[in-house]
Amino acid sequence: MPQTTFDVFRYQPDTSDEAYRQKYELEHGEDMTLLDAILRLQNEQDGTLAVRYSCRSAICGSCACKADGKTVLACMTQVEDLKAQNGDQAVRVDPIGNFKPIKDLVVDMEPFWTKFKSVKPYLIPDSDPPEKERIVSKEAMQKIYNESKCILCAACYSECNSLAADAEFVGPAAFAWGFRFAADERDGQRSQRAKLYSGEHGIWDCTRCMYCNERCPKGVDPRDAIEKLGGIAFQEGLGMRDAGGRHAKAFLVSLRTGGKLNETLLVPLTQPLKAPFDLPFALKMIQKGKAPSPLPHKIRRLDEVKKLMKSVKETI
Amino acid sequence: MARKFAYYPGCVAEFSSKELNSTTKALAPLLDIDLLPMPAATCCGAGDVAEAKPNLYLTLNVRILSQAEEMGVDIMTICNVCTLNLRRANKLVKEDPRLLEAVNEELVKAGARPYEGTREVTHLLWYIATEEGLSLLERQGPKGLNGLRVAPYYGCQLLRPSSVMGFEDPDQPQSLERLIVALGGEVADYEAKSKCCGFPILLARETTALKESHVALSQARDAGADCMVTPCPLCHLAMDAYQRKAEKVNGETYNMPVLHLPQLLGLALGLDNSVMDFKRHMVPVDQVLEVVGA
Repeated sequence: MPQTTFDVFRYQPDTSDEAYRQKYELEHGEDMTLLDAILRLQNEQDGTLAVRYSCRSAICGSCACKADGKTVLACMTQVEDLKAQNGDQAVRVDPIGNFKPIKDLVVDMEPFWTKFKSVKPYLIPDSDPPEKERIVSKEAMQKIYNESKCILCAACYSECNSLAADAEFVGPAAFAWGFRFAADERDGQRSQRAKLYSGEHGIWDCTRCMYCNERCPKGVDPRDAIEKLGGIAFQEGLGMRDAGGRHAKAFLVSLRTGGKLNETLLVPLTQPLKAPFDLPFALKMIQKGKAPSPLPHKIRRLDEVKKLMKSVKETI
Repeated sequence: MARKFAYYPGCVAEFSSKELNSTTKALAPLLDIDLLPMPAATCCGAGDVAEAKPNLYLTLNVRILSQAEEMGVDIMTICNVCTLNLRRANKLVKEDPRLLEAVNEELVKAGARPYEGTREVTHLLWYIATEEGLSLLERQGPKGLNGLRVAPYYGCQLLRPSSVMGFEDPDQPQSLERLIVALGGEVADYEAKSKCCGFPILLARETTALKESHVALSQARDAGADCMVTPCPLCHLAMDAYQRKAEKVNGETYNMPVLHLPQLLGLALGLDNSVMDFKRHMVPVDQVLEVVGA
């Protein structure tokens, strides 16, 4: 019978302000999820061990935690798989990241729910209620199928690198829901949503670390949703409102005029007001040859690119 | 016979980080590869074009793939972001014939060659960090890194999403470590080697980005690294060119020289320093050259 050591993050604010680690040994069968292991530890060895869970079947999203540093749903992670990956070592169990722990593996989810609510995660039609239900085609639902799978487990939020650097960033899960409604043909707030999501700490804060896509246990791909919200912002004529959008615009200008990125254009186009005050840094970059010619860098057959930029239609 | 690749250095290596391009080209014969130019290739869009105009991003990247197909070779990149953008487009059209057909229709209308979906995209690191690549290095009789302590820095987009990249475990990457050890260096290990450098938002959200680069820079410093090495010129800009800014924002000192992957290979293989153009770096690499004896 396999035996596993669990090295668990403990935080019991009633008795101490300091977090600590505790090791537990457990004998178990071949098939045991991490959640089952934690619950057995709680039932058989230590009733003070706190964990949040509900459905045990990867639907409620309550039991997300870190196993060997990687955010997972405890209920859909096999202990034997973790040991196969870590070379049969002790399994480290921690609360999800980017949250304050309340007790052991239980964290304060309040900031997550506040941000979730801030994206207005519900349909807001712009017409009176119909007499019959609104029929939506399969194709139209397909566009938002991925995002509609989100169970709000916060695995994405737990490892978001932008959030780690800026706690105010709205975050991947909320924007997956934002896209799910912005792109729903029954919704009447597409433009308003694009505006709401494009502000400070909004979609343009995403640093594209891709952890959200990597960790999501449901295949939601939140980064892709954020990307598509950027596309909607451009479609709604809001691309130039934020420095992030202007940064993207600089790529489009570079493509049209030369085909390759004109790096020297990026700074003044992205930050037209701030750029002049960053002169000492700019001079250093010039001195090191890191500010290439601001003239377009022309590729061969640029005419093809120009035609494509006119003819390709966006379909978000 | 040297293996031929369609060489896609990406815009940053061609312009602001020319030292990466010149080193890669000088290294190619030593690595038994022939890098063929792609004079009609555009920028991959770096995630920015995908964010503004997703269909345009896809079409332009398929146009690049088609050019490699016309040349009869696979693409080699030296940039994480180019690798992800090209591989993602390749995966999307290879898995969806109807999408490929729609993209090809656009390409043909614009006078460009349609894509048949026959090409692959690889990164220099993936080529050289295999058993075959390592034995290739060994055959060159490297003069070695003389125990240089190198902090491997992967960044994000060469590892994630693994469904698109797939070369190695994104949570326990080992390719850079294998190379460092094979070349006679020591690995300065640290947790944040695959965290984000912040580059994509460096201009739009400078403070957030500099707090991101701080995590890897400070950990590499604390691991006693003589330098950091990265396979991505965008990570290099964030870690090297913006390092002094990161020091200011975070109130710390890193003094961390940052090498492009081909520069590390070049040092170990005895490539001329002038080709590797270290003077273009913001953080001086003198201490590195001293250890290696270059």
